[in-house]
Amino acid sequence: MTPPTSRTSNARARASQAPLPEQRIADEPLAVVADVDEPAVVPHDLAAAVPAVAGAGRRSPGFMTSEILRRYSLVFLLVASFVLYSTWSKTSGVFLTGDSLRVMVAGQAVIGVLTLGILVTMVAGNFDLSVGNIAGLSQVMTASMYSHHGWPLWVGILFGVALGSFVGGINGFLVTLLRVDPFIITLGTASAILGFVDWYSKDQSIVNGIPQGLVKFGNNNFVGVPDIVWVLVVVAIVIYYLLEHTPYGRNLHAIGSNRAAARLVGIRVERSIAMAFTINGFFAGVAGVLLLARAGAGNPQIPPTLALTALAGAFLGAASFKVGRLNVPGTIVALLFLAVNITGLTLAGVANWINELFTGLSLVFAIALAAVLSKERKVRQRTAVPQSEQAPSEKTRK
Amino acid sequence: MPETLAGPRTALAVRGLSKTYAGNLALDSLFLQIRPGEVHALLGGNGSGKSTAIKIVAGVVPADPGGEISVGESTYGVSDWSPARAHAAGLRFVHQQPAIFPELTVAENLAMGAEFPTAAGGRVDWKALHERTARLLAKYQIPATPKTPMLALRAADRVRVAIVRALQDFEHEDVSSGILVLDEPTAALPDVEVDVLLQALRGYAAAGLAILYVSHRLDEVLSVADRVTVLRDGKKVDTVDAEGLTEAKLVEMIVGRPIDHAYPAASEVPSDNAEVVVRGLRGGPLLGVDLTLRKGEVLGIAGLLGSGRSELLRMLFGAYPRSGGEVLLEGKPYQPATPADAMKAGVAYVPEDRQADALFLRESVRHNLSSGQERSYFRKFLYRHGIEKSDSQKSISDFLIRVVTDAQPVETLSGGNQQKVVMARWLRRRPKVLLLDEPTQGVDVGARAEIYQLIRKATAQGTSVVLVVSEPEELAHASDRVAVLRGGVITTVVDGPVDAHTLTELMNTEIRTGAMP
Repeated sequence: MTPPTSRTSNARARASQAPLPEQRIADEPLAVVADVDEPAVVPHDLAAAVPAVAGAGRRSPGFMTSEILRRYSLVFLLVASFVLYSTWSKTSGVFLTGDSLRVMVAGQAVIGVLTLGILVTMVAGNFDLSVGNIAGLSQVMTASMYSHHGWPLWVGILFGVALGSFVGGINGFLVTLLRVDPFIITLGTASAILGFVDWYSKDQSIVNGIPQGLVKFGNNNFVGVPDIVWVLVVVAIVIYYLLEHTPYGRNLHAIGSNRAAARLVGIRVERSIAMAFTINGFFAGVAGVLLLARAGAGNPQIPPTLALTALAGAFLGAASFKVGRLNVPGTIVALLFLAVNITGLTLAGVANWINELFTGLSLVFAIALAAVLSKERKVRQRTAVPQSEQAPSEKTRK
Repeated sequence: MPETLAGPRTALAVRGLSKTYAGNLALDSLFLQIRPGEVHALLGGNGSGKSTAIKIVAGVVPADPGGEISVGESTYGVSDWSPARAHAAGLRFVHQQPAIFPELTVAENLAMGAEFPTAAGGRVDWKALHERTARLLAKYQIPATPKTPMLALRAADRVRVAIVRALQDFEHEDVSSGILVLDEPTAALPDVEVDVLLQALRGYAAAGLAILYVSHRLDEVLSVADRVTVLRDGKKVDTVDAEGLTEAKLVEMIVGRPIDHAYPAASEVPSDNAEVVVRGLRGGPLLGVDLTLRKGEVLGIAGLLGSGRSELLRMLFGAYPRSGGEVLLEGKPYQPATPADAMKAGVAYVPEDRQADALFLRESVRHNLSSGQERSYFRKFLYRHGIEKSDSQKSISDFLIRVVTDAQPVETLSGGNQQKVVMARWLRRRPKVLLLDEPTQGVDVGARAEIYQLIRKATAQGTSVVLVVSEPEELAHASDRVAVLRGGVITTVVDGPVDAHTLTELMNTEIRTGAMP
């Protein structure tokens, strides 16, 4: 049911799938008769799975320390980078000024809203590569509705956001009802939206008649913090509430963890996933409006790496706080980590390519880390089984 | 002297094989000898040590020190034994469900087990491959061409191709130096196919191949085997000639032990009120199932793998399409289109494969317990985590789940405790009907007894249970009545006290003699 790509690309999904074979062997140590054609994997696992470690499962102080290190490693890295750029002679002059910090976090607001939106689909074991383009669509259409068609600003905004939700809904429809791979389908819709926006805007930025109220909002501060960062804060709270404190969010986690089981506890899997894509599209639409507010122009050329940056943020985020689980606080820390380093390195005189390079490497690193963590987890899990009920049973399938 | 001339009289011999798992002796000093050209059946119930023996012979499980394995004239200590050595010595294994690639051709399927022959530039030498495959097909008398897709073969022939794949490197040698181990090769085969396969096996044995045959189907063992070894509780009961052996005798040898008191009896006689009436239910392998489930009873379903027993449960839970028939729940028509519908009607389902179909492994015990019920904790836009937590702690104590904390990921629990989490998830809703598919699979004896206590506790409160368990002995003890599912229909319903002996006979002997509807 789950498309293979989404399985391999999602840290949570992969980690929850991966332990299966071993777990099964541990439960039924005698159930597998190896085919000699492929003997290599079984003996190792069996040997490792059988001995039960008495008394394991309690948490030692050393375990707790390493657990804290694991959970907050990204926070430590963030603080360390922050300290580095604040003291490094090349950057210290500019980095630690209010303006520079404001520019830095304001620059993350758009990507932050995108990332938090994509989190909703990722928690359910899917993802969406078209979010950047949906944001671009919403940005251009909002601008166009206001400046070309004279719609009231709020209607234009509503239109942009609604369009984002609609395109997200189409993604969700295609992914669930046609059971196609979200990777492929959203790559396809991304390209289609890009083409549509180019055609619609004749590849020209809409610079005239951008509503001043909106542009002002995009560059104003409220209690020293840029307005659009406040939007990000609100979005973060909403997504956090949605994912962790509503039945729907819990269902999404369940679907991402085990789709078949989710169906068998009565969760409407397809409907939930389609809804997740719609929500994702909605927030991509919001990100598009923020983009317009910040840039003051409806530019059809949106950075092609937006979706990848969002993925990097979400994956890196899964490596902190609730390790191995996509979570909102981790995502925020990950985004700040990316922002601090990219800003710092740019200030140090590294050219713009550092943006793509650093984001790309972070994504690769986050995925690698997720893989390592899930392996480590398997090892720990073997030793953490309470020693009762470790006796082998020879129930074999017939 | 004449023995030497006739070649080694022993193809495979094991002496003194033992295996201890966590202090339990799973296999106790097994002696076994298989002759060239012999089909030797290995029988035994669950926990008999049969699988352990096979795995030791395959080299995938190390035996306890002290035993020996001889192949032909070479003898190895168990510490030297490995999968590679087993292969080099001429042992070949075909698993219950061999890895077959249905879309690929026979030639390609065979090449998966060896290597694709290559020609200049590393390209696949299709001509050589097809010639070699044609030779093998002729030799093993499989009616197919190298280019036939596996899909187009009948089921028995697909298994035969898997056997040929295991044996293909004997092509230029004599198969009489080979030992083929077949682990329930017929488990997934329809009856007519079984005969085709068995006949082929007899032919291979006649060519000198030694075959170690593991199966649960007694009639087929009797028809194919020369000798039979029965294991029970890790010990060999006996090795006997198949000639003159009856199924009754075999059942006695397999079941022989006193049955433990793992299964609490029903606290009261189940009422006669029908909770669920199934009439002519069709879909997938089911060809018209008629059943009545009484209120508060445990109705066992006996059937072999592929009999449709799992599909029956899934259909009753709205998780498998039904093509006809009607179901009444408490007298009202019941037609769940999805699991959610079934749950609304008060039906619960514990699937066979708990890790694949029931558990969210990385989620906490608490979340696993309340999954599907989250809505009840969401009031006035707030998720009541506190209530959820106290509920989960109550479930943990009610359902005897052993955890450090309910925030622990469920993957860190043992199989038995994982299963109790799944049971608790459903039982705490007090379902009207509980559908259980192999609830004790991969669960040790202690937890198994606890699971049956939980089931009895539920039936005492009015829950009606449909229980699928493949082990006849366990099924007989845990059920009030047992319905035998075979050929897509219920052939017999055993009322009152059921004994494993009868059940084993019903599941196995009737399998090919009963008239099809």
